[in-house]
Amino acid sequence: MKYYAIRLLRSFLTLIIVVTIVFLLMRLMPIEGYFTNYDKLDEVQIEAKLENLGLLNPWYIQLKDFYGSLMKRDLGQSITYRPKVDITKILGDKLITSLRFGLVSLTISLVMGLSLGILMARYKGKFWDKFGTCYIVGANAIPAVIFYLLIQVYLTDLFKLPLLYDRTDAKSWILPILCLSLVNIAYYAMWIRRYMVDELNKDYVRLAKAKGLKNKDIMLKHVMRNAFVPMAQYLPASILYTVSGSIYVESLFSIPGTGGLLVTAIQRQDNTLVQALVLLYSSIGIVGLMLGDILMAAFDPRIRLSHEGGSR
Amino acid sequence: MKKLLSLLLVLVMILTACSDGETQAPQTPETPETPGSAEEQPEGTDGGKYAEEQVYKYTYAEEITTLNYLINTTWVDMSVAANLIDALAQYDKYGILQPALAESWKVSEDGLEWTFNLRKGVMWVDYEGNEIAETTAHDFVSSAKYILTKANESESANLVYSVIKNAEEYFNEEITDFSQVGVRAEDDYTLVYTLKKPVPYFESMLTYVSFFPVYGPFLEEMGDQFGTANSTLLYNGAYLLTEFEPQMQRLLTKNEAYWDKDNIFVKELNYKYNKEASALGGELFKRGEVSHAIIPPANLDEWMTNPELKDKVSPDRLGTYTFFYAFNFKPNFDAEYEPDNWKIAVNNSNFRKSIMSSFNRVASMATEDPYNPEFRIINTITPPNFASQDGLDFTDTGNLAKLNDVNFFNEDEAKAYKEKAVEELTAAGATFPVKILMPYNTNSSYWANEAQVVKQQLETLLGTDYIQITLLPHAPTGFLDGTRRAGNYSLMKVNWGPDYADPQTYTDPFERDGNYNFPEYTTDVNADGKNLYDVYEAMINEAKAEVIDLSKRYQLFADAEAMLIDNAFVVPYNVSGGDGYVASMVLPFERPYAPFGIATMTWKGAKILADPISMEEFEAAQEEWQAERNEALKEASN
Repeated sequence: MKYYAIRLLRSFLTLIIVVTIVFLLMRLMPIEGYFTNYDKLDEVQIEAKLENLGLLNPWYIQLKDFYGSLMKRDLGQSITYRPKVDITKILGDKLITSLRFGLVSLTISLVMGLSLGILMARYKGKFWDKFGTCYIVGANAIPAVIFYLLIQVYLTDLFKLPLLYDRTDAKSWILPILCLSLVNIAYYAMWIRRYMVDELNKDYVRLAKAKGLKNKDIMLKHVMRNAFVPMAQYLPASILYTVSGSIYVESLFSIPGTGGLLVTAIQRQDNTLVQALVLLYSSIGIVGLMLGDILMAAFDPRIRLSHEGGSR
Repeated sequence: MKKLLSLLLVLVMILTACSDGETQAPQTPETPETPGSAEEQPEGTDGGKYAEEQVYKYTYAEEITTLNYLINTTWVDMSVAANLIDALAQYDKYGILQPALAESWKVSEDGLEWTFNLRKGVMWVDYEGNEIAETTAHDFVSSAKYILTKANESESANLVYSVIKNAEEYFNEEITDFSQVGVRAEDDYTLVYTLKKPVPYFESMLTYVSFFPVYGPFLEEMGDQFGTANSTLLYNGAYLLTEFEPQMQRLLTKNEAYWDKDNIFVKELNYKYNKEASALGGELFKRGEVSHAIIPPANLDEWMTNPELKDKVSPDRLGTYTFFYAFNFKPNFDAEYEPDNWKIAVNNSNFRKSIMSSFNRVASMATEDPYNPEFRIINTITPPNFASQDGLDFTDTGNLAKLNDVNFFNEDEAKAYKEKAVEELTAAGATFPVKILMPYNTNSSYWANEAQVVKQQLETLLGTDYIQITLLPHAPTGFLDGTRRAGNYSLMKVNWGPDYADPQTYTDPFERDGNYNFPEYTTDVNADGKNLYDVYEAMINEAKAEVIDLSKRYQLFADAEAMLIDNAFVVPYNVSGGDGYVASMVLPFERPYAPFGIATMTWKGAKILADPISMEEFEAAQEEWQAERNEALKEASN
């Protein structure tokens, strides 16, 4: 328990450092970026806006104000992306949209990917293995951008599906989910196959076989369980990270999620929005890693985090 | 393992179930059908020329930032606002000013006091069409007060205080009593603007967002949330923003309470967001899912070579933003690029002219428009069809008229200028090759290509022993402050868009203490030994002071502009080509036209066609429009 407390504290410190650095970096951006019509404005107008945004204050005052309002759980208002709209209002719907797509696709990827990987390991060198390898190589070798576009243009034509996402039309959800899942399936299949094949060559499997255990039992009770441990570590982070959306799939299919939002916010120099996103994503990264370790420990009783003395 | 998987699945289902509930809550249950779209009258199609269903569908890649038209002046934001709020006056399809919220107006003899008689019974309605209040003269006062309050960060404040009496003083908080500012409501239907000096183009400014009305009590109630959503805005224009979900969609439905609703034919403007709209637009158009799509140059070949698609693509109408290459007279760049040497060179007119006449603009324009590069090239800074007086277009006025048919590109002349320049510059102590620093913005691949072409073309023709061009790619972040405004360039493509309908607006970049090419630093003189900029400035000042005889005013401005070009202070390049090439069901010439501002974004009088426009149809329509416009202008000036 003490281990978790220390770790939590350390994570919190990291978070503050990250957010502060990003905060200060944003203050170094050229002022031109805060304006959409910079060339047409008078000096007075530019001054007035910068003053309103608090950008003319010394950095430590700005930083103090920022943490002050953060304490009050106020993320502030957007400044250029959608001026005067609360950050929470902008993010709320977007996070949920991305989360839905991400989780559905993650579930599909896990189920399909793990099944494919297990099949491949089980029938190593046979048809399933070759088929799976082809798929994995294909999915990784062809740039995702290309097959997303092909899927969007040709599959919509073939199956008479809508080209763009429509919240009220479930048919339009199919292709984005397919796109999001394709690469992930390959990813999970590849790794689970690898870990399983590793396990299959270990002595305890041979012993189990010699003891006369059924192949199915060996696979499910021993090999699977051991092979899944390394994967379990990344699972919570993957789940949490779905809120950050997918840049390309979302923009191709017009899904109003968070994909690319951070990039846009930085380009538009929407300081408050950038800060909120960095805060969110950093927290997710930190919490995700921690949950991953806990999950791993839960899967494999041999792993005891507290005895390792926080080497991670 | 099984346990874990099932646990995961349950978790996922719970999460999706939760989020289902949350996202669907704010969704309006009834999708508002356009009233009356079912009972479309077949005679409305004009013998099959127009579509039966007058709904415009479009996919856009850039979302508006705010609906608050009082503060924001970006093109994207205004293109929505222009359809939601009406102005005192508006342009028709020939660019002639017509009454709108003002039924009539008159100006006092000294040209300072403008009195507007407002139309009665124009209602403010909310996004669902519920009537809130009547539009009155007070709404224009409320709007001016809001714009001129510094804390509101209005981007159009400078346009208002450039003309209205005491407005700048109020903005700078030198006076606090708003009643001293030159805008007042005499009664509900009489509005008076008092100007600080006679402004011949004041009428044209009225069509701009900076003079739009706002319902005061509502503005106050909304506070800083005004215009952040469709429900925090009131409408008195042709359309209501019935749905607005950023990064998703916007739906504009015809305002049935609009005073001129009989001239609004397109019942619904349906916009869907897609960040990759330029890549997908063509595909969506082929499937009939949009009424208008931009065909980017990269996809143009596919459309032009396919017999089925060839007749569905046409150019977009030309805009009024102009681009020109400017010579910098106040070089402020690295010693590596020899700013002092550049200073000597740029002040030699033969040197400048050698560059100007060796610049093959058609060749470089082909990087952006390979099919018809001449279409957008112009020989002036002020584009054609911008302003006219007595039926005479500004570019056909005074000395500018002589430039119309000149081809600046002339290899023999270029070489002759070069010879003279070499001689004179050597005597003046310049060294060769003259280093030329030419920046471009890396956010545009066309610009990068164009810069390459210009460099290659000029260096090949004039020789690298004469000039040596260094391209300076600059990131979009802080681009202007890093290049043009800092004087960190020798030769650079720059642009300018007009603020009102008068040739004066195109002289702004060349004002003393400006931040374009700093012409006031020139040491070059004319035949009489007078500094060229002093001569130019005197002409401009005379033109600005001429507010009574507008024909003379136009001629003076035209002569001044011609002088800049004749002396190669700038090389005129092109006028913005709108969206370039488009596949479209809307004939741009049926939509309102204006030399600047927002009329081209509105829909009065326009209809959706039954078939896409072809190149030939576009050209014929353009010719017809040009002839009709010239007629209309003549008639209006009589």
